[in-house]
Amino acid sequence: MVMSKMAGKRTWSESIRDSPALWLLPLAVVLGVTFLFPIFEIARLSFTDASLLDDDYSYTLESYLDLFRSPYFANMLWVTAIFVFASVFLQMLLGFLIALLVDQGAKRGMRTSIVTRTAVLSAWAIPGVIIGIIWSILYEQSAAGILNYLLSFVGFGEVPFLSNPQVALASVTLANVWRGTAFSMILLYAGLQTLPDDVMEAARVDGANAWQRLTRVMLPLLAPMLFINLVIVSIETFNTFDMVLALTGGGPGRSTEIAALSVYNQIFEQFNLGQGAATAVLLVAVNLIMTFVYVRFLERDEGVA
Amino acid sequence: MFADKRRVSRREFLRLGGAGLAGAGLLLGGVGCGGGEGTGENALGWQAIPSYSPQAPDKKRVDYLNQSISGWEEAYGEFTIDSLISSSDVTVAMARLLKQANEHRTPDIAQIDSYVFPRFYEYVYPLDGYLEETGVTDDYFPFIESLMLGDGGVVKGLQFTTDVRVLYYRKDLVPEPPASWDEVLEVGRDLKDEGLTPYLFPAGRDEATVTTSLWPYFWAQGGELVETEGNPVFGEGENREKMLSCLEFIRECVASGITPTRVTTYLQETDLNADINAGEVGMFLGGNWQVGILKEVTGEEVFTSTWGVAPIPSMEGGDTHATTAGGWIWGIFARDEAKQRAAVDFLLYTFVGDQGMAGWCNAGGYLPPRQDVFDLSEYTGNEYTQTFREHLDKYARNRPASEAYQNISTAMQVAVASVVTEDASPEQALETAVRSVSLQRRD
Repeated sequence: MVMSKMAGKRTWSESIRDSPALWLLPLAVVLGVTFLFPIFEIARLSFTDASLLDDDYSYTLESYLDLFRSPYFANMLWVTAIFVFASVFLQMLLGFLIALLVDQGAKRGMRTSIVTRTAVLSAWAIPGVIIGIIWSILYEQSAAGILNYLLSFVGFGEVPFLSNPQVALASVTLANVWRGTAFSMILLYAGLQTLPDDVMEAARVDGANAWQRLTRVMLPLLAPMLFINLVIVSIETFNTFDMVLALTGGGPGRSTEIAALSVYNQIFEQFNLGQGAATAVLLVAVNLIMTFVYVRFLERDEGVA
Repeated sequence: MFADKRRVSRREFLRLGGAGLAGAGLLLGGVGCGGGEGTGENALGWQAIPSYSPQAPDKKRVDYLNQSISGWEEAYGEFTIDSLISSSDVTVAMARLLKQANEHRTPDIAQIDSYVFPRFYEYVYPLDGYLEETGVTDDYFPFIESLMLGDGGVVKGLQFTTDVRVLYYRKDLVPEPPASWDEVLEVGRDLKDEGLTPYLFPAGRDEATVTTSLWPYFWAQGGELVETEGNPVFGEGENREKMLSCLEFIRECVASGITPTRVTTYLQETDLNADINAGEVGMFLGGNWQVGILKEVTGEEVFTSTWGVAPIPSMEGGDTHATTAGGWIWGIFARDEAKQRAAVDFLLYTFVGDQGMAGWCNAGGYLPPRQDVFDLSEYTGNEYTQTFREHLDKYARNRPASEAYQNISTAMQVAVASVVTEDASPEQALETAVRSVSLQRRD
């Protein structure tokens, strides 16, 4: 009896050996050092008046209060909201349309679908700074401007692509859509490959027209992929700053200064580490809330399904 | 059998991984410890921004530096130069260097933007003892000399280049360059009637907007950005009125059609070059360094016969002008006396002595901060050099080294753009800038 109890009781070393904890420990350490610690540091610094120029600082709520009192704060939120909403909506819409076209082309034996996918994807592979420079050349407003030159052939006058605050925001958003559409396209193209042919065929046999097949069969089946796409594209767009930095630097004035660029400018232009960190925390909070909402939607949707 | 021998067990894999991580940690630790002055007993750590280093994209500069470094190493014998590169983003580079100085991790010699140099006074070593009999500190422009000298007239650093902002005008179209704002508007209207873009200046989100397009107007009226303690006063009392008049003038330039709103896309002075090269510009505010680039683009003959240089117009005109000067200073952080002596000798040889300053200014196209160097036969300069020298002597000012300056600069860059795009009136733009700066102050 005693022997059998002894045999049933696992030693400490056996428990450790059989537990996955030991195997996960290196990953946990790497994640902790490279991911959690920086987030903790940013959160801690956001409650200080730290500057990039010296090591002395004190803990305070002033960084957050100054951020909310700043005459530029409301503008930054508004600009970020427009940029993110328009970018995400257009990237997903265009990505889906291109994926659909490529998919239909492939099904009809079009040999150029691989070339099309590669060409579209190359836009996503180019670094943001380079994209910013390319678009700044296209948007150039002087006599050397390419788009203005082309538009002059169809009777347009000089378009202030980057010098008018409202037009500049639209121009920056368009460049971002150009960059991000490829990612949506690839993700949704992969989703389209997983759609069961028999279900689509059944809908066709039942007399559903193309619009009905799209809205009542295809989109509901693609919903999980669309949600994943939405989460990734939203977070990516919120955190974009390199392309905007190269394209406008946030100008004219602050008309294209989105939240992520504001963090960069506050820390590296004005050396205000405390307030920059507070803005970064705000950005992380928005990202987390959005992800939480999306995931809840996804879970509810899967639950219903 | 052989395959079995090569197979690594999980335990061995973990052990190897652990050893690898530990090794990497040690390596990184070693590299970390190797920062600062850790460049070896017989090596001088010399840190420059990329365009002033042997990794510059310009072959002329690289050739000069490589020849000079090897020449000095051979002549001096005791030390070698360990070349270090800082960030190409000057603002970031200076912030990092200041932080390094706080933590006593600076290289032996570092390149410092002249206007922030006073913030390094407490970290750099005085150089008087090494400069006796060289006479190199006797002929600096007065505004540069005052920057190089700390409390009690001690030489804290050695400036080796300078620059200046001016008005460029088309000699064939503008016989007499405008000296006052009213004259700018008048000449501008005439140029506009001839189908030209009359008056350009940088107005984007960058430092050039204030150094070239705003501070000269403001300083020419006697305005001050900060008081003696470094606190912002640009939005108070008379300074407020002076700043407001500058913004109103900029607004008037746009409203009268002599300046297009696209100036908000010009971040640097050189961003104007495409417009200038297209031959449609009548006048522009720019820097002395544009001469070399524009000569290459438009052709030397064409440029010098077309463009003249004058002081940046002021509100009153006459001789009440001001301009912004800049440049770079070498600071010496080495604690060891032998290294300090060697560092000064290297700097004199390559950048600060008669031959060194003339050589480096020729290679890079810079203006010498020492007045006598302009007269040396070794210094080549260009057709405009004597005018630039005169402007440096009569009108030049440095930006304040105050900690608040960066916030003032950013806020006023936004204000200028808001006024140009009509997003805000001059009063509103200035009010917003003042409020923003007051919120950013660390008391």
